[in-house]
Amino acid sequence: MSEFLLVLFLWSLPLTVMVACVAGGRRLVRKLIPGFLLGALLLGLAIAGHSFLSGKTVNVDWSDHLPFALGFALDRLSGFFLLLICAVAIPVVLFSTSYAGHYSSAKWRWYWCPLFILSMVSVVVASTVFAFMLGWELMTVLSAGLILIEGDAEDRRRSLFIYLAMMHVGAAAVLASFLLFVPHAPTLTFEAMRAGGGGLPAHLRPVIFLLSFVGFGTKAGIVPLHFWLPKAHAIAPSPVSALMSAVMLKTAIYGFVRLTFDILGTPQAWWGYVVLGAGIATAVLGILYALGEHTLKRLLAYSSIENIGLIYVGIGLALIFQGRGLPVLAGLSLIAALFHALNHALFKGLLFLGAGAVYKSTNTLNMEELGGLLPRLPGIGISFLIGCAAIAGLPLLNGFVSEWLIFKSLLNGSALEPIPALPLLIGAVALAGTLACACFVKVFGITFLGRPRSDRAKYAKSAPENMDVSLLILAAACILLGLHPGVALYPISTLVGTLIPNATAPPEIAAISRAMPLVAAVVLVALVLALRLRKRASRRVETWACGLPGLTGRMQYTATSFSKPLRSVFTAVYKPERHVDIEPAGQPYFPATISYRSVRTTSFEKTLYRPTVDLVVAAARQLRRFHTGNIQTYLLYIFLMILALLLVLRFA
Amino acid sequence: MMNLFINTVQLLILVLAAPLLRGVISKLKAWIQKRQGASVWRPYADLWKLLHKEELVPNTATVVFRLAPVIGFAVTVAAAAFLPLLHPAALLSLDGDIFIFVYLLAMSRFVMSLGALDGGSAFGGMGSSREALVAALAESPLFLVLTALAILAKTGSLSEIAGWTIGQNFFDVSTVHILAFVALAIVTVAETGRIPVDNPTTHLELTMIHEAMVLEYSGPSLALIEWSQAIKLHLLAALMISLFAPWGMSLAASPVGLASALGLYAVKLACLVIGLAIVESSVAKLRMYVVPDFLRVAWALAILAVIFTAITKR
Repeated sequence: MSEFLLVLFLWSLPLTVMVACVAGGRRLVRKLIPGFLLGALLLGLAIAGHSFLSGKTVNVDWSDHLPFALGFALDRLSGFFLLLICAVAIPVVLFSTSYAGHYSSAKWRWYWCPLFILSMVSVVVASTVFAFMLGWELMTVLSAGLILIEGDAEDRRRSLFIYLAMMHVGAAAVLASFLLFVPHAPTLTFEAMRAGGGGLPAHLRPVIFLLSFVGFGTKAGIVPLHFWLPKAHAIAPSPVSALMSAVMLKTAIYGFVRLTFDILGTPQAWWGYVVLGAGIATAVLGILYALGEHTLKRLLAYSSIENIGLIYVGIGLALIFQGRGLPVLAGLSLIAALFHALNHALFKGLLFLGAGAVYKSTNTLNMEELGGLLPRLPGIGISFLIGCAAIAGLPLLNGFVSEWLIFKSLLNGSALEPIPALPLLIGAVALAGTLACACFVKVFGITFLGRPRSDRAKYAKSAPENMDVSLLILAAACILLGLHPGVALYPISTLVGTLIPNATAPPEIAAISRAMPLVAAVVLVALVLALRLRKRASRRVETWACGLPGLTGRMQYTATSFSKPLRSVFTAVYKPERHVDIEPAGQPYFPATISYRSVRTTSFEKTLYRPTVDLVVAAARQLRRFHTGNIQTYLLYIFLMILALLLVLRFA
Repeated sequence: MMNLFINTVQLLILVLAAPLLRGVISKLKAWIQKRQGASVWRPYADLWKLLHKEELVPNTATVVFRLAPVIGFAVTVAAAAFLPLLHPAALLSLDGDIFIFVYLLAMSRFVMSLGALDGGSAFGGMGSSREALVAALAESPLFLVLTALAILAKTGSLSEIAGWTIGQNFFDVSTVHILAFVALAIVTVAETGRIPVDNPTTHLELTMIHEAMVLEYSGPSLALIEWSQAIKLHLLAALMISLFAPWGMSLAASPVGLASALGLYAVKLACLVIGLAIVESSVAKLRMYVVPDFLRVAWALAILAVIFTAITKR
């Protein structure tokens, strides 16, 4: 029965597309497509929830009927990530129904979107390397296609090219890490690899780990491999950005956890330190870059990098603890990482959809032109605020619980060795946390509060009907998981028990699940008392303008000026290039014109990517000498190659 | 039942005595400046007055502006529920509540910064932008200080840390304690907006941080903001006392023990307050862009405190 449902679910997504194609222009049927897709996703949610909660493994294997090993399986880990995909995809599809329509490209989006979701689903339910890589590559190609639907201007194509190039490097590393299993598991199913993993020689295991770290890290956006992320996520249509940031990045987390914990097993502690170091750097740098941005979606993309960093901190700690033989502590850290992955999917999906709604009603994402949107988009504004508070890690919301678990894991590290190296990192994670607070005060305050900063914001259209429903669903999920985290924490803890041997449920889970409702109760009592104290009439007046008339929107702080003090403290990170031209040059005090430009190219671009690209191009130029265009020469190459292979076969 | 009662009383002391603390500080400062000064009960009269006034709301303001003071007050009170005062237990307590405590204070700042931006003037943005700078640099040392003490006591709960410290000889833990105490003192000054980081009595736009944030508020909302600010100061002072000098807390829930604990608490608080008054009267406010350097001192001390837990006898 379960097998049938899984197959039905997997087929229902491409079926949606077929219906879409057949229906073509008929409007009635095209309205049915979102409904069809929603039904499929609800089915996915149900089977994912069932597998995640009950632990019943569902296997579908088509290898016997096909020339390659294609199989799907649903266990607790796959169930968790499938749940995450469906839980975010449902609101996104709901949102798309009101977001699309105005574009002639909407039709294409409905063709591609189910396939994109299918590719992500097939990554997390794959039970063979072939199925996994198929989904992995389709995911890249389809998301690139979805980005192109919005337009193919020169700069977009450039960003897209960077995205595709880096994804190929990442996929190559992932594939290489899988292929190293071949001598021990020739069929390349995950089950065979798990069984054969023990036979791997000791020197190969770190190689596999490092390859998968780089491969999955590229997809997840670990610094310095994050370069593509803000470029690609910012130019996609908002529902697609939501899917990419909230869900697609998580498939990389899934792959990394699956390979290191489930298939490879028995990690060494130094692997953990590598992951932890990368995670900390990613978290702090990601949020610092986010703080310096004033384009809403680019900012959110950088903030995704920060959150991926936090997830990697959790994974790294888990590897360290497991390597040191402390399974319960390792379990707590992995729970923190997985729970944060779920939370980030919820609030980042919410925030990207909010950004889409803002774009829909104002036609701009530049925060310098926004402001005062809350009265015009009340439902969207309030749920966006909840998302901001959740991602800033404020108590009573889900983001806080997972950050608390990460802090607690770091503190537990003091049990490890005399020098408290891990607890010291609490300072760095706390810095990322407070910077995230500042960043999202900026995001919400500048975009939704105060006065409009331009006519676009002033004459913002109200959002299409029902657009806020999908945001409110996600906001409700954030609140629920914040007030009653036990709902998710206990099943995740069971899941982690299957990944880390001897990892019993850590006591922190029960503690935080009990504490959050109590904190909420105290806050509620104080809130009611404070509201009773304040029962007085209020009167609307003009904002105080130092006695002068006419405050305008331009007199307010902007996104750039808001972050200026922090940017000046962290100048070393931003390394801005400033150009001030004063005309005429000889008169510093009474100039005719002053022009100021500030360019920020990240130092990664200058010191890492540019030299690498130059090197590749130089190598390609050398290789071109072999390509003479003469067919006889190519035949000679083929002949030499065959000869070489024969020799290898003879003597090897 | 008895414990629940004591814990509630603790919470009420932290909340209700907070304005008195402000009154005492300004009285002390007045004395140092050879002035008569207002009565120590003056802050209560101010609150009463503000609570009975009509409230003026800027025309751009939304529900965020109206709710920010209320939520800020509520979460500050919730943070107070984690602090031990008379005995080493609190209304809310769990292993790891040090992080909840700090994040509740951060939440109050988050909503207040949003409320400031909702006013639609330049001052609100200026205030919240500067507050973000101070907070971003002050919060990490606070985390590290609490971490250092948590490592020593092998527990992440404020109440249990206090309970553990009572049983210690001061000289066994002094290395970490002195470093952490100084770091916490700097953080307290920064977080509560006192001189030399911010001047609570200034209204000069070039210098104000917190006051710029609350410039648009009036009447009952301003009363709530002033009160939560007072509670925050009291909270951080009480945090210093409970963590670094909990000796004298009542271990058994006897009336005499509790009374003497309360008396001792008042004496310790008086010492802190005198110190603060002297600093505030003798030091000038720092320039805005020197504040990060001042906070870096707290960073360095807090990091050292965490490192030195390794050499402290446990």
